[in-house]
Amino acid sequence: MRKILLFLALGIAATGAQAQILPFLSKRGPQQPVVQGIDALRADFAAQSGGTTVYYGLGSAVLGAPSRAMLAAQAAWIRRHPEVVVRVEGYGDSGDTRDHALAVGARRAEEARDYLVLLGVPAAQVSTTTWGDERSGLGRAVTVLVR
Amino acid sequence: MKRLSLAFLLIASASAAEAQQPGAPDATVVEIPPLSSPDSGTKGNEMLQIGWEATQLIASDLGQTTELMPLKPKREDYVSYPEVTAPSFGKWRPLGAKLLLTGFVQSRSDGRIAIGCYVYDVTKGSELARKGFVLPKSDWRRAAHKCSALAYTAVTGSPGMFDTRITYVAENGVGDGKVRRVAVMDSDGYNHKYLTTGSTIVLKPRLSPRASQLAYVSFSEGKPIVRLLDIGSGKERPLVPNDAISFAPRFSPDGSRIAFSMMLGPNSDIYVVGASGGMPQRLTTSPAVDTDPSFSPDGSKIVFESDRSGTQQLYVMNADGSAERRISFGAGGYAAPEWSPDGQWIAFASRGPYGRRIGIIRPDGTGEKYLTNGPADESPTWAASSREIMFARLGPGGRSALYRISVDGGAPQQVTIPQDGSDPDWSGAID
Repeated sequence: MRKILLFLALGIAATGAQAQILPFLSKRGPQQPVVQGIDALRADFAAQSGGTTVYYGLGSAVLGAPSRAMLAAQAAWIRRHPEVVVRVEGYGDSGDTRDHALAVGARRAEEARDYLVLLGVPAAQVSTTTWGDERSGLGRAVTVLVR
Repeated sequence: MKRLSLAFLLIASASAAEAQQPGAPDATVVEIPPLSSPDSGTKGNEMLQIGWEATQLIASDLGQTTELMPLKPKREDYVSYPEVTAPSFGKWRPLGAKLLLTGFVQSRSDGRIAIGCYVYDVTKGSELARKGFVLPKSDWRRAAHKCSALAYTAVTGSPGMFDTRITYVAENGVGDGKVRRVAVMDSDGYNHKYLTTGSTIVLKPRLSPRASQLAYVSFSEGKPIVRLLDIGSGKERPLVPNDAISFAPRFSPDGSRIAFSMMLGPNSDIYVVGASGGMPQRLTTSPAVDTDPSFSPDGSKIVFESDRSGTQQLYVMNADGSAERRISFGAGGYAAPEWSPDGQWIAFASRGPYGRRIGIIRPDGTGEKYLTNGPADESPTWAASSREIMFARLGPGGRSALYRISVDGGAPQQVTIPQDGSDPDWSGAID
């Protein structure tokens, strides 16, 4: 965990340094990636992954086949974008009591996150939260690009 | 009749002084002449004015109970100072009152005031109880509440619940733009104030037994984390020094411990930690959702909800996590239990085809009954008297309000607060 963080930090520092010396290396250096705003990245993430939201059965935190397919696509995209950080936000079911909804939402977020990590997303790149019965609706977990 | 009278109260409760409850047929009728004063002149007038307001507050307090029925105070029932301690019972017997509450307000040379209260059995012509208080002039309400408690205890033998505090989540707006602040007030609605600013979502505030500390759930770190606030100093800190998701805090009856839920990976379990810090101790290990712990009044047991059976049900365990035992077995779900201060009942929110409603059950699993019809009631919390429950009801427009209901049934009575409210918590009596 710490190693990954350190690596990321070094990576960011290296990128910064590279940006400064780039004029001298421009002929040999790799193509500078097109800088994308967070909104463009989010749109690309949603398009490439087939969506940002996976749904669960009532009271359940078990990932169905469609959810696993979407998370696999999300994982592939996140692995191609080591510069982003994502947060999986879980929700309870509508009509649930407050604290149970928080726990169920947290569990759904964790299950989705664990699947992303299983598919190779560095753990440091993905955090979780729960909204419980806030913005209630169908039980779900949403992968949000934080930065 | 009872239902009708409570419904009437609901409408009339805007003016506390008007809220003279007809009461249950077997309620003890109380006569409360205006509190007297030994002072004269300007001081005397000032003391009599405080006395009159205190008289109305006492009547309002007692009018909200099912056991006592105050007659509406009248200024012309004024008694002289000597009559406070030597009432002429013959004057009160024809009014049908069984109980007489007299008192006085006296100014002191140090700027404070003395308030004395006396409770008499009118039929027998004998004194039942008396109590005196010296306090700052601005605190006269607290003395009045204690006079109410004196009369209540004289009749029922139970502690009065009039000098207690309520914390809840004050809500402005609906949907995503809703602003939420932790609010705290006296149980009669006075001394209302906000303890958080509204810049972040807050949930489930819980008062320590003497209402000096507050545990609540804050989203200030982007996820729910329990924080502990010292109300007097305003200092606060996370309950446990980690970044795990935590929620559902509740104090032990002596205030020394806090039980709460914490996520370890996908698993919500119940933990307990000292209110002054230390390492949290894990009490449940089930892979299911275990949450909403509440201590028994002697602190030896904890009731909580778990969906380990497939639906949410109530379980009781020892406070060290041993001897777990399921106590509810009905269809649907049982959630958010709270143990009554007298230990006799556990209040809960049930889930089913009817929506969510409030019920009570004995700690051994017997005597289950429902107090409300829903469809969106939750977060029950006991009054210190164990005779009443406050809860939150979500209305059709997505707006939440607080209600109180007697354990004997009747219609829920809406609590007057400055805005919408949810997640109520009622403290014990404050000494």
